[in-house]
Amino acid sequence: MQLSLNILVTFSILILLGLSFSLIFRGAKFFDIGQALTLTLASYSTYLFSIQLDTSFLIAVPISIFFGICLMLLVNQYIYNPLQKRKVENWQMLIASLGVYVVLQNTISLIWGDNTLSFRTWPVKEGHQVLGAYITDVQIITVISCGFLVGLGCFFLEKTSIGNKIKAVSSNPGLAAIMGISKEKAVIWSSVLGSGLAACAGILIAADTDMTPTMGFNWLLFGVVSMIIGGMGKLRYLILGALLLATAQHLSAYYLDSKWINATAYIIHNAFLYFRPYGFSGQPLKKAEI
Amino acid sequence: MDYILHLGILICIYTILAQSLSLVAGYSGQISLAQAGFYGIGAYLSALLTVNFGFSVLVTLPLAMILSGIIAYVVSKVAVKTVDDYYIIITLGIQVEIFSVMNNWQEVTRGPLGIPGIPSFSSFGFEFDSKVSYLLLSIFFAGLVWFVLHNLTKSPFGRVLRGLSEDEVYTKSLGKNVGSYKVISFVISGMLASIAGVLYAHYISYIDPTSFTIDESIFILSIVIIGGMRNLQGIFFAATFLVLLPEALRFVGMPSSVAANMRQVIYGIALILVIFRMGVNKSKTLRNANV
Repeated sequence: MQLSLNILVTFSILILLGLSFSLIFRGAKFFDIGQALTLTLASYSTYLFSIQLDTSFLIAVPISIFFGICLMLLVNQYIYNPLQKRKVENWQMLIASLGVYVVLQNTISLIWGDNTLSFRTWPVKEGHQVLGAYITDVQIITVISCGFLVGLGCFFLEKTSIGNKIKAVSSNPGLAAIMGISKEKAVIWSSVLGSGLAACAGILIAADTDMTPTMGFNWLLFGVVSMIIGGMGKLRYLILGALLLATAQHLSAYYLDSKWINATAYIIHNAFLYFRPYGFSGQPLKKAEI
Repeated sequence: MDYILHLGILICIYTILAQSLSLVAGYSGQISLAQAGFYGIGAYLSALLTVNFGFSVLVTLPLAMILSGIIAYVVSKVAVKTVDDYYIIITLGIQVEIFSVMNNWQEVTRGPLGIPGIPSFSSFGFEFDSKVSYLLLSIFFAGLVWFVLHNLTKSPFGRVLRGLSEDEVYTKSLGKNVGSYKVISFVISGMLASIAGVLYAHYISYIDPTSFTIDESIFILSIVIIGGMRNLQGIFFAATFLVLLPEALRFVGMPSSVAANMRQVIYGIALILVIFRMGVNKSKTLRNANV
């Protein structure tokens, strides 16, 4: 039962990250590694406001999410947009995003140091017992928040005109442009929504397991792996991808050792790319068909 | 003086790593983030065989190249099915897997404790235990790799690699098996990277997994991108610049803890600027083509 609860908590975070990443991928059409910084910056700015500036935690959280979104918009405006106008290829965009990640992650290290920090001021207490297993308050909040945010993200994508524009640009940018849909606006909206979700994920992760400047990279890549396993398309495939990844990671931690979690994630990822390159969805993707 | 020689040895090691990566990244158009993994395979295999079984480096060096080649073959068979940024992500995954094995398979690799007491490089009764002799040895290997890559890239094989990186479908239409060319270039690149690993292990005499992380792969890729994707000489200068950069930061009085981060900030900015430069060149090419 404890294993199931652990899987549920990880799955919740993974689905949130997977959705966040796939939203940005839909708009930008490349793997934005710099997105990992939204996750990290949101948790560090929560630490800044709630601990260092002694602001209320409830005020610190929305400000931090806002900061995370602003950071990605600035990066989009001054780095990604000019590069895309110069028609650079996707791998070059990925390398540029890697450069953005390296610069910002080290800037965070310079400001706050490399040690683990925590914004937890609430008292440590025993978790709630559920059928013999334990779950903490933070983990319950994580599961509920992730469910709510994923629902909100999907509602936005499916039921609003902006969401439909993002999907149109993602599906066929040329046709979308003919129909008068601005690609730039769609990219901005997908960036706002995606980085907002990533910022929330960062704060939830830091609330449970504290923060280091490199925390965003691994979690972001797990989100990418969930997205690739699920394949591009409907949310249900993303759910399948996140569930498979979370289950495999916790089973490997249970039967082998927790230190094999990262390797397990990438073994599954590479196996999928080899045997089922389009993931669960089966929707063909140009980059995996040669 | 010893410190200058030490920097010279590091420049040779990074030149080998970056030039070998350029065969894959520059010539065949496959950007790999797994180079530090092959570097680590060479270092670990040679260290384990010399420390535990008393093998000579003359035996461990070809064995390290063969093992790296085999692993590179398996990896490229998987990775070759993807292109572009998917290829980068898959090689990133391979890098994480190789690092996990080095860090977690403690029965063999001793995990984070690392392998101490690695003997110095010796061949035919001569011990390369002084800095000067090791620098000469490193220059020899760096020169050899440079010579091999220079000739390889000028050969018909190199021309096919250039062709497939420019237009894969067109190269395929000429009857070339692009998949096998990609695999071969990746295998050669992995094998050459393992030479740098062997040199590093027998020079430092202690290795642990932190020398072969994803950060190291990003650093090697930065050297290639900053030096010029298909420019072996430029890569040598970029390796020199990036290896000497922390020393320059030390001279301006920056504490080493800050200098480490500053060095990464500077090469991150350099990466972004080089991509901008590539974009400018591409725009000019497109404009000229339209005229």
